[in-house]
Amino acid sequence: MAESPARTAFAEEALTHLDTLYRGALRLTRDPDQAQDLVQEAYLRALRYQHSYQQGTNMKAWLFAIMRNLFWDRFRGSRKEDVSLDDVGEFVLYDKLKDEGARPEADVLDKLAASEVVKAVEKLPPLHREVVLLVDVEGFSYKDAAQTLGVPIGTVMSRLHRARQQLQRSLYDYAVESGIVRANGGQQVQQ
Amino acid sequence: MNCKDCSEKLDRFVDRELNSTEVLELQLHLESCPDCQDHYEFEAHLKRLVKHSCECDTPPAFRDKLRQLLT
Ligand SMILES: [Zn+2]
Ligand SMILES: [Zn+2]
Repeated sequence: MAESPARTAFAEEALTHLDTLYRGALRLTRDPDQAQDLVQEAYLRALRYQHSYQQGTNMKAWLFAIMRNLFWDRFRGSRKEDVSLDDVGEFVLYDKLKDEGARPEADVLDKLAASEVVKAVEKLPPLHREVVLLVDVEGFSYKDAAQTLGVPIGTVMSRLHRARQQLQRSLYDYAVESGIVRANGGQQVQQ
Repeated sequence: MNCKDCSEKLDRFVDRELNSTEVLELQLHLESCPDCQDHYEFEAHLKRLVKHSCECDTPPAFRDKLRQLLT
């Protein structure tokens, strides 16, 4: 295929955001092969719709939107997993740990393995997971996240709030299971 | 600002979504309230932990393949 210089320049710029797209796709699909397929398809689509990208706007957000829209097109058709979170009630990990007599940061956060945090993120329903990916992992503002997802800012905030409660609950459960904290009994291992 | 207001705004503070007046009010409270300061550090640490845990490098072979395909 003979590529025009403009197309090549556009592709080069788009590729500077590859890490963001790849890790987003990996966390959404939870599978490296599917993530690569998704990212490749997203880039091909981005080049095809190059004309719809407005110069000077947020290209990372534009690309992420293409990728997650493709993900949702596939996801809707294939999976029966819960898409959203039930309201499980307020859960504030910090308060919970304090109540149990632990030092929340030193006793718990410093002991959580990265792989457990990833598991907790990947356990979130995708509708909530993608907000965490944008705001916490990629550092998007609520406004940019809202634009990327095509929802109002209030929706971003409520999904994020729920996602964080669920995430903190998973991390708490893990901390109890692994003996980092003892449920209703404070710290288990004194060092 | 009291502790309840502070904890309600903590997420938006950590996400840098408060306006400058709110930021000042909250910072003033944190300076005078060790409990909220400790809670703030916990939330900020958790956000960093989520970020760093979920980061990963694109496999180099995939990057090369994509570049060849697109450029
Ligand atoms: Zn720490
Ligand atoms: Zn306070």
